[in-house]
Amino acid sequence: MDIKVDHVVDAKGLACPMPIVRTRKAMNDLNAGQVLELQATDKGSVADIQAWAKSTGHQFLGTQQENDVYRHYVRKSEPDEVKEEITFPHSVRNEELEGLLESSREFHILDVREPAEYAFGRVRGSRNIPLGELPQRIGELNPEDEMYIICRTGNRSNMAANLLTEKGFKNIINVVPGMSEWTGIVERDEFELKNKIKPIGGK
Amino acid sequence: MATKVAIIAANGGLFDAYKVFNIATAAAASDAEVGIFFTFEGLNLIHKQAHQQLPMPAGAEHFAEGFQKANVPSIPELVSMAQELGVKIIACQMTMDVMNLKEEDFIDGIEVGGAATFIDFAKDANISLSF
Repeated sequence: MDIKVDHVVDAKGLACPMPIVRTRKAMNDLNAGQVLELQATDKGSVADIQAWAKSTGHQFLGTQQENDVYRHYVRKSEPDEVKEEITFPHSVRNEELEGLLESSREFHILDVREPAEYAFGRVRGSRNIPLGELPQRIGELNPEDEMYIICRTGNRSNMAANLLTEKGFKNIINVVPGMSEWTGIVERDEFELKNKIKPIGGK
Repeated sequence: MATKVAIIAANGGLFDAYKVFNIATAAAASDAEVGIFFTFEGLNLIHKQAHQQLPMPAGAEHFAEGFQKANVPSIPELVSMAQELGVKIIACQMTMDVMNLKEEDFIDGIEVGGAATFIDFAKDANISLSF
C-alpha cells in the first residue's frame, strides 16, 4: 500500500553505501517533520537505515517489503530538538487514555502525526489528520465531540488542541506524552502484496 | 557531539580502495567528520590516472563480474561523492617526495601534509581505522 510521503529516494539496484548517501543528500531538501521514503533492493539497507537514523538523530518509522524492494520511512527531526512548551490546559496521560479505551464511554481519538508514522503504529480506533492538513480539514470533525488529540511526544497535539479550541471545539484533550511512550495495544497497516489482484474498477 | 573518523589508507589495490571509500562515505553521510591520510601505496587511490584502474588482488580477478552485478559504484564516483560530503583528503608529503610525485598528479581538492597534520586531525577522533 502507498503511504503519503513528502519525498521519495529511488536507490533500487544500488549497492552499499549508495542508499544511505542518497538519503543523506535528499534530507537536505526536506523541512523538519517531513517524511522521506527510501526505496532500495540492497538487503543491508534494512539495518543500515536504522543505524543511520540513530546516528543522525532522524526518526526511523518502519520498513515494508514488496517482492525484492524495501521501502524505508524516515521523518526528518528538528534541527536542535527544541521542544515547544505544552500550553494546552486539558490533558491526560497515556495511561488514562488506555483506561478509557477499556470503558464504554464514547469519544474520538485524533492522531495528528504524518501518515507514515500512523501507518506503522497507532492507537486502535484513532483517526489520522496530519497537523499540517488540520486547518483545511477541520470541517470533517464535529465540534461537539469529546476528542483526544495524540502525536509522538505531545507537541504537535498541543498545537492541534489549541487550534481546535480556537475554532470552537468544546471538548478537546491533549494526550501526553503520546505514541513515543505508548504501551497499550498498537494497531498498524497490513501491507498488501504488490501482486494482489484488484477488482476491475475498484480503488 | 559529532562523530569524528580518522582513516589511514596505506594500500593501493581496488579492494583497499572500496574499504576506504565505502566506510568514509557512509560515515560522512551519517554526519561524521571524516579525514583520510593517504600514504605509500595508498596514494594510488587518489592518483589522477591510477585511481581509475586499480588492480584486483592476484587470483581475485573473477570478482569483477560480481562488482558489476551488484552495481557497485566506481572508485572515481566514490571519491567525488566522498569529497562532496566533505571528506578531508590528505596526501602524505614524505611519500610524494620519495616517489617523486607532485600535487598536480593527484585529484583536485586534496591537502598535502605530513604525519603531524594527520595526527592533529586524529587526536580527538572517536574512530580511527587503518587500511
